[in-house]
Amino acid sequence: MKLLDRYNSVSLLTTILVIVVTGVIYYFSISYILTGQVDKDLDVEENEIFEYVKLNHALPQVFKSDDLIIHFTPIEGHAVARRFSDSRFFDAHEHGEESGRTLTSSVMVGQQLYRIEITESKVETEYLIRMIFFITLGIVFVLLTVLLLINKLVLRRLWQPFYQILRAIKLFNLADRNGIDPVNTRIDEFRDLNIEVTAMSQRVLQDYQSLKAFVENAAHELMTPLAVINSKLDTLMQVGEMNDKQGLLISEVYHTVGKLKKLNRSMLMLSRIENKLIAEREEIDLCQFIQDMVNEFQELLADRGIIISEYLKPCHITINRDLLMIILNNLMGNAIQHNCTQGKIVIQLDQQGFSFCNTGTLIPLNEKQILQRFYKSPESEGSGLGLTLIKEICDSYGFSFRYAFRTDMHCFDIVFNYPYSNLIQNCHLL
Amino acid sequence: MSFETIVKILVVEDEPGLRDSIRDYFAESGNVCETAGGYETALQKINVYRYDCILLDITLPNGSGLDILEALKANHHPDGVLIISAKNSLDDRLRGLDLGADDYLTKPFHLSELKARVMAIVRRKSFNGNREIIFHEITIDLLAKQVNVFGAPIKLTKKEYALLLYFVANKGKVISKNAIAEHLWGDEIDISDNFDFIYSHIKNLRKKLIEAGSGDYIQSTYGMGYKFSDH
Repeated sequence: MKLLDRYNSVSLLTTILVIVVTGVIYYFSISYILTGQVDKDLDVEENEIFEYVKLNHALPQVFKSDDLIIHFTPIEGHAVARRFSDSRFFDAHEHGEESGRTLTSSVMVGQQLYRIEITESKVETEYLIRMIFFITLGIVFVLLTVLLLINKLVLRRLWQPFYQILRAIKLFNLADRNGIDPVNTRIDEFRDLNIEVTAMSQRVLQDYQSLKAFVENAAHELMTPLAVINSKLDTLMQVGEMNDKQGLLISEVYHTVGKLKKLNRSMLMLSRIENKLIAEREEIDLCQFIQDMVNEFQELLADRGIIISEYLKPCHITINRDLLMIILNNLMGNAIQHNCTQGKIVIQLDQQGFSFCNTGTLIPLNEKQILQRFYKSPESEGSGLGLTLIKEICDSYGFSFRYAFRTDMHCFDIVFNYPYSNLIQNCHLL
Repeated sequence: MSFETIVKILVVEDEPGLRDSIRDYFAESGNVCETAGGYETALQKINVYRYDCILLDITLPNGSGLDILEALKANHHPDGVLIISAKNSLDDRLRGLDLGADDYLTKPFHLSELKARVMAIVRRKSFNGNREIIFHEITIDLLAKQVNVFGAPIKLTKKEYALLLYFVANKGKVISKNAIAEHLWGDEIDISDNFDFIYSHIKNLRKKLIEAGSGDYIQSTYGMGYKFSDH
């Protein structure tokens, strides 16, 4: 629920409630005042009758009137108590009953006591009340509409800076190093929010930068001790007399150090790509490049009985050579490592992009999961950073990197997004 | 140049553990290996002595290895230079090579790889025009990339040739399987966890050499790696 709607519904409910309550009070007060007015008229009539009786010692002649009826009834005994009461009034014109007000009193004419009943129609009064009620209702309705409209228009404008800040927060990306720009506003609350958000974004960026610098430095610093361990192992291996168990142990340590080294290198490479430190590019004949790489792997493929098919069309792209090598080597390495024996690898290249497909498990992989850092399939012995590296490189060049499971093959597609990047040049159709 | 040539190298490296390992690895086959732990010592040494190859660390406590390289080139000293650095940054690599370094190796590295690179630099720098490596009956023609056993050529694949060169450069040393895999396929590859494929290359190379009448020089050592040796 939007703040405006929430506010409107609350304010609308209270307004209606207050109006209903005041309406009731209003109705009763007006009705009370007007009844008092009618009673006063009845008083005047009574007095006129008393005056007349005093002067003439006889009851006055009663004329028929549209809104006033006077009855004299001779009664025995005591005088009746003087009182006002609501009653019915028979309108001869309308041939119907209306509500009326009656004053009951008594007068002594000679020796005879008469009861006086003066009844006045309240039609006019009720009409007046109704008029007042409708006018008031109209005013209230107009007022509410105007209020709602003003709320909508003014509040929307007032909230504009807030939405701007919100949009800036949504667009905020740690990697591109741009903080949140301040929004121009005269409203104190938003200005405070703005200042805090801007300051926070700067703080976060700084923290992120220093964290990245820390990771990079840590990886750098680890390289020298790793080099020492590696060289000591190399030296240890030269020691002549050894048994197979010792050899195996050394071999395992060596192997683990190798993994650590690779992991470290991948982390360094990642942070360098993220920091956009690899700017150098050159135009590369991708078709030739892939063929050369496949040749490098030829013996390995033959060893595992994997059949490789290449469907390559000429394509030149402008990219960093080392990064392209990382992409292709990782894709190829994965395609071999996760393949089955006597499996297949299909490489396709055209001017739009290229893809590596390989046979393997028959269960599709979870795309989100495999792109997570340090995610590894249980049988994999890699660093778990290979695909992440590819993804980062692709991101930095505006390529898209996707996984798909097609015709029982695991496919990794890299699309150059040609219209959006000027990286591909001279890609001719065959 | 025959492989038996004794080389003189200087290791400029501030990390003593690594410096000593390199010195031990190189010194064994009768080579002269001097070390310098810092910027000043290194500068003094390169001003006085000449080396076949200088292994130069870029980040030194009191200065940059690149400055040493500049000083060396400013004085037109012909020493070969191999930069070893913990920084895998392209800028450093390019600057180093621009300044006249012969090669660049990133830490951590295998000593066998280092040795192979140094031997390659020394071979390139030697002026006696001999572009052959001779190991007993095996002759490797570096220009033609051709291997002869008792004068008769044998046909090796690209990888087998690279493997043989690597073995010969590290003659008498145990080379780990990791080092071989990285040398042949580069260290970006994540599949070297399974070393069976190295085994088949070595098996083929060995078979071809023995069939041509050469001695059996390639030995497996305790499952750790392989050794190319004549005894």
